Amino acid sequence: MDWIVDYYNWRVVIQFIPEFRDGISATLFISFISLILSLVIGTLAAIMRISSNPVSWRIAAGYVQAIRSTPLLIQIYVIYFSLPELPILDRRLNELEGGVIALGLNAGAYMSEIIRAGIESISKGQVEGAQSVGMTYLQRMRYVVLPQAFANVLPPLLGQTAVLIKDSSLVSFIGVFELFGAGLTVLSERLMPTEAFMTVAFGYLIIYAVMLQISNYAQKKLGGKRA
Amino acid sequence: MIDVITSTLPFLFEGLWITFKISLITIICGSLLGFVVGMLRTVGGKPISMVLGLYIHALRGTPFLVHLYVIYFMLPATGIAWLQLEAFPAAVIALSLYTSTYVAETVRAAIQAVPGGQAEAARSTGMTGAQAMWHVVLPQAMKLMIPPMGGIYVIIIKGTSIVSVIGISELVRAGENATLRHPKELMLIYGLTALMYFAYCYPVLRLARWAETKFGSVRLPS
Repeated sequence: MDWIVDYYNWRVVIQFIPEFRDGISATLFISFISLILSLVIGTLAAIMRISSNPVSWRIAAGYVQAIRSTPLLIQIYVIYFSLPELPILDRRLNELEGGVIALGLNAGAYMSEIIRAGIESISKGQVEGAQSVGMTYLQRMRYVVLPQAFANVLPPLLGQTAVLIKDSSLVSFIGVFELFGAGLTVLSERLMPTEAFMTVAFGYLIIYAVMLQISNYAQKKLGGKRA
Repeated sequence: MIDVITSTLPFLFEGLWITFKISLITIICGSLLGFVVGMLRTVGGKPISMVLGLYIHALRGTPFLVHLYVIYFMLPATGIAWLQLEAFPAAVIALSLYTSTYVAETVRAAIQAVPGGQAEAARSTGMTGAQAMWHVVLPQAMKLMIPPMGGIYVIIIKGTSIVSVIGISELVRAGENATLRHPKELMLIYGLTALMYFAYCYPVLRLARWAETKFGSVRLPS
């Protein structure tokens, strides 16, 4: 196995295993928190978007358009550098908070479009049935519409989650340590770009492969369309 | 505040011009490459389709940032002369490869969306497989490819923001440089930068939606 060292020096990579391990867990942690945040924001935005109140759907539509037509990097910069300038905060955001908020807001816009498609896929009879047994709006959403909507759009939601995990590499620019940051550490300490970035790519590919498996499983489990 | 805007706007417009250039070159190169990959994946045999599937998955499974660093830092480290890329070609190549995966999937989905009877009918009139593809299937598939291309173009435009890290002075880098000159006006300058991206991307998205209502659309395999 020694010839391989000329191309990919795994002995160096072994020295940096703690960095890569911390990097992967940080990436997963950041992605997980951002995912929760984006699902909450996405659901709220989707509900606002389909409401008949012009103020609320215009706000939601504006949010989605604004996020979709600006790059994530700029969103991260705007939130991390300039949110503290607003009077609502009396302190600077730390890197992790800024990164997670930006990622959550960014993914939330895409999630809201997916969730909206899910809500619109629920047949009218479901809502009317819930109405006829006397459920309020919130109860209808909570017990009838949203569970089915999420089940219908689970595969695209998982796809968007994979995008979110990849996008989380961008928060390394505001100084958050995660998988890509681990690669940058190896690059700056050893000047070995191959070992640094092939290992990082491998780490992301593992996460991606797991996501793909989960997505396939979900698709199979949910099978055909529901009502 | 007004003087900050007037003094930074020229630099931001210069950045926007470079963003425009990169995204335009990339959409052309990436679409051509993606078209070839998508076609080969549809009509090529099983082994070709598997290799190209691997290519698409490998690029889809890693962040664009990693592609950029691999092409800009790793390839020159191999010592091969023609892999010593300058920043601009490295950025264009990385973005084109990234784009090609999206285009390839769009092309494949569009070709598969054309009903099989079309190709069969063409073959039954005596056309060869290539003729059936060229004269019957592709013209119909082309219409389905147009609407998703708008979305892909916006992905490229947003992707160009990332190439600022290898030192290309496009819009984000221009904004960063401006914040060095006016460190008190971070929000204003980044806000202006975001507005410029919006001004570039929003019409493209609107155009894509218009094309979707005109030509219909295909569902991409996610």
